[in-house]
Amino acid sequence: MPGPVQTNGMSSAAAALQMLERRQAVLANNLANASTRGFKGEMAFSRIMGNALAATDTAVDLTQGTLTQTHNPFDLAVEGDGFFVVNTPNGERFVRNGSFSLNANRQLVDGKGNAVMGENGPITIPNGRVDIDAAGQIQINGKPLTMLRVERVASGADLQHEGGTMFVPDASRQSIPAGERKVQQGFLEESNVNAMSAMTDMLSVLHRYQAAQKTLTTIDTVRGIAVTDLAKPV
Amino acid sequence: MNPALRAAATGMMAQQTRTEVIANNLANVNTAGFKRSRAQFEDLLYQTIQGQQVLGGTEAETLPAIQVGRGTRLSGVQRMHEQGPIEQTGRNLDVAIEGEGFYQVQLPNGELGYTRDGSFQISDQGVLVTNSGYAVQPPVRIPPDSSELTISVTGVVSVRRGNDLMPTEVGRIEIARFANPSGLLNLGQNMLAPTTASGQPIVGFPNDEGMGRLQQGSLEGSNVQIVQEMVEMIAAQRAYEINSKSIKTADEMGQIANNIVS
Repeated sequence: MPGPVQTNGMSSAAAALQMLERRQAVLANNLANASTRGFKGEMAFSRIMGNALAATDTAVDLTQGTLTQTHNPFDLAVEGDGFFVVNTPNGERFVRNGSFSLNANRQLVDGKGNAVMGENGPITIPNGRVDIDAAGQIQINGKPLTMLRVERVASGADLQHEGGTMFVPDASRQSIPAGERKVQQGFLEESNVNAMSAMTDMLSVLHRYQAAQKTLTTIDTVRGIAVTDLAKPV
Repeated sequence: MNPALRAAATGMMAQQTRTEVIANNLANVNTAGFKRSRAQFEDLLYQTIQGQQVLGGTEAETLPAIQVGRGTRLSGVQRMHEQGPIEQTGRNLDVAIEGEGFYQVQLPNGELGYTRDGSFQISDQGVLVTNSGYAVQPPVRIPPDSSELTISVTGVVSVRRGNDLMPTEVGRIEIARFANPSGLLNLGQNMLAPTTASGQPIVGFPNDEGMGRLQQGSLEGSNVQIVQEMVEMIAAQRAYEINSKSIKTADEMGQIANNIVS
C-alpha cells in the first residue's frame, strides 16, 4: 500500500492535463470507429488518487448499437445482452460484429476467416435455405442444424478490447439460455459511438484542458511573485 | 506524436476508402450483373496502459485494465451477391440468371472466368460469346443457317435450321456456383476468377439443385441501390468531418500545452 500521495497545485494541474489527454485519445479512437460495425466505445473515468491527483480508468461501453437491415442471410446481430463466439488462433473471442460468410469449405466464418462456434464446434452449412431464429438455431430448409453459441460475462466482469472488434472474455463467461437470446438474421449492429455526445465531450475536454493549463501558469506566477517580490529588501 | 492525432487520422483514411467503395458502386449503377461492395472496418490493437489491478484491504477490489485504442482500419471490402433486378430487354441473346450461379467463359490467358452478365453475342465463328468476346464454356456453336434462337430455363440452346419446322438443340449453357462467391477475385469487365477463398466451382445445368434458372430476353441489373449508397455517402462525409475535428482538438490542446511556458 503506497503512502498518502503528497500533492500540490502544480502536480494536480499537470495530472489533470495528462488525464484530459488520455480522454481525448479515447474520444478520438471512438470517433475513428464511428462506422466500425460491432464496435463498442471505450469510456474514460477520472478517479481521485490520494488528495487531488486524477487518474483515468477505461471501460467498455456495452450499450446497444443501431441495427441495420442488410437482408444478407449470414449477417447476424444480437439485440441486448450477448456475444457470438469465434475461434481465433489465440483462443475463443467474443464478437458483436456478426457479418459472417461461408469459406471455401462452406464453414461459417467471420471477416478474418475465424470459425464461428456453434454448440458442436465450427458450423458447416449445407446447401439450402438458411434460417436463423432468435435463439440462434440454424435451420436448413426448415430442418434444425445446430445452435449458435451466444454467451455473456457476469455483470461487472472485465471485458478487454482486443482490436478487430473482438473482446477477450474472462472466467465468468456463460451461455445465455435460449429463451433470453435475441439473434436477428439479416441485420448488422452498427458502432455504438454517439458522435454528438463524443463531440460535446471533446469540447469539454478542450476547455478543461485550457483551465488546467491556466491553473498551472497561475500557480507559477504566484510562486514567481513569492520568489522575486517577497525576497526584496524593503 | 499525440495518439489522438493518429487515431483520428486512421478514421479519416477509413472514411476515404468507404467513399471510394461507394463511388465505384454508384459508377456501376447501370452495369449489368454488377454486384455492389461494402467496406468493413475494425478497431486497431489496444494499448493496455495498466493491467487489471487488485487493491489491498479487507474487501479485495479489482480495478479494470486501462486501455486506449489506436484507431480503425479497413478489414475488408465484401462483395454482396444479392440478386439484382431482372430487367426485360426483349433481345434473344440477353439471358439473366435468376438465383445462384455464374456463366463460365474462356479468358485469353486460357483460364476460366465467371460472370453474371448475360448479354451475349454471336462471334464471326458462330460461337456464343460475351460482350467482351470471350467464348462461353462449354462452347455453343450456332450454325449459319439458323433462326429463332431460344434458350430454355435449363440452359438448352435450340434454333430452327433452314426450313425445318422443328427446332434443333445446338448446345447447352452450364453455370457454376461457389461456396463463397464473395471470395471471388474481381478482374474487371464484369469478370470474376476463383480463389482459394471462394472454393472450387461446382458446375451444373441451370435449374438443377441449388442453381439459378435462366431467363431469355432479360438482363440482371446492377444490385446497387442509389438511395442506400447516398445515405452511406452522407454518413461517410460526416464521419470524415468529425474525425477532422478530433485532429483539430488534439492540435489545440498541443498549442495550449505549448503555452504553459510563455
